[in-house]
Amino acid sequence: MRRQKKPCPITEAGIRYIDFKDDRLLARFITDYGKILPSRLSGVDARHQRQLSKAVKKARFLALLPYVKGQTA
Amino acid sequence: MAKLKIRRNPTRRYEAVYIFDSALEDTTIAEKLEKLQGLLNLAEPATIEHWGRRQLAYKIGRHENGYYVISNFTAAPAVLPEFERALKLDEGVVRYLVTLYEHELGAPKLSDEELASRRRASDDDDDDED
Repeated sequence: MRRQKKPCPITEAGIRYIDFKDDRLLARFITDYGKILPSRLSGVDARHQRQLSKAVKKARFLALLPYVKGQTA
Repeated sequence: MAKLKIRRNPTRRYEAVYIFDSALEDTTIAEKLEKLQGLLNLAEPATIEHWGRRQLAYKIGRHENGYYVISNFTAAPAVLPEFERALKLDEGVVRYLVTLYEHELGAPKLSDEELASRRRASDDDDDDED
């Protein structure tokens, strides 16, 4: 029993480089709490997942994305 | 840091993102930006994109908003330490990030127009995001 592999959404969208400034794109790959979504859930291929994770971390540093979402400070 | 091999081309492409204090006047920000960019001794002028004021995803100190500026430039690596020192000392700069802008490692980067159009496009379909 093997599950069907999901197509990579990044490849499908024709994105060649994941820009850390594109917070709208990155927001699709984080959970409700702001964690990076695992690729087994999102279907992102390994290479893009690596790029994605770096991009999310840069975006967090620049306060484009939260480190923890839903936190009332 | 390991010693770099001598490169044929001693300059590299960088991308800097500045977050200025949003309480500053636009003219003050422009002045600061010009002064900071001036430290880079650029051969050709940098491409500068003003995002303007936007809300920070979390508070940085007492700041809730920031004025974002993106700058792309080609500079000699040797000028960066002095540049970053000035950035750290500047009270008007809430945060900054200087990264290499050499995306050509197997994947051409999105051009600025493409990025802009993506941003525009995604502005419209805000609701159907999961």
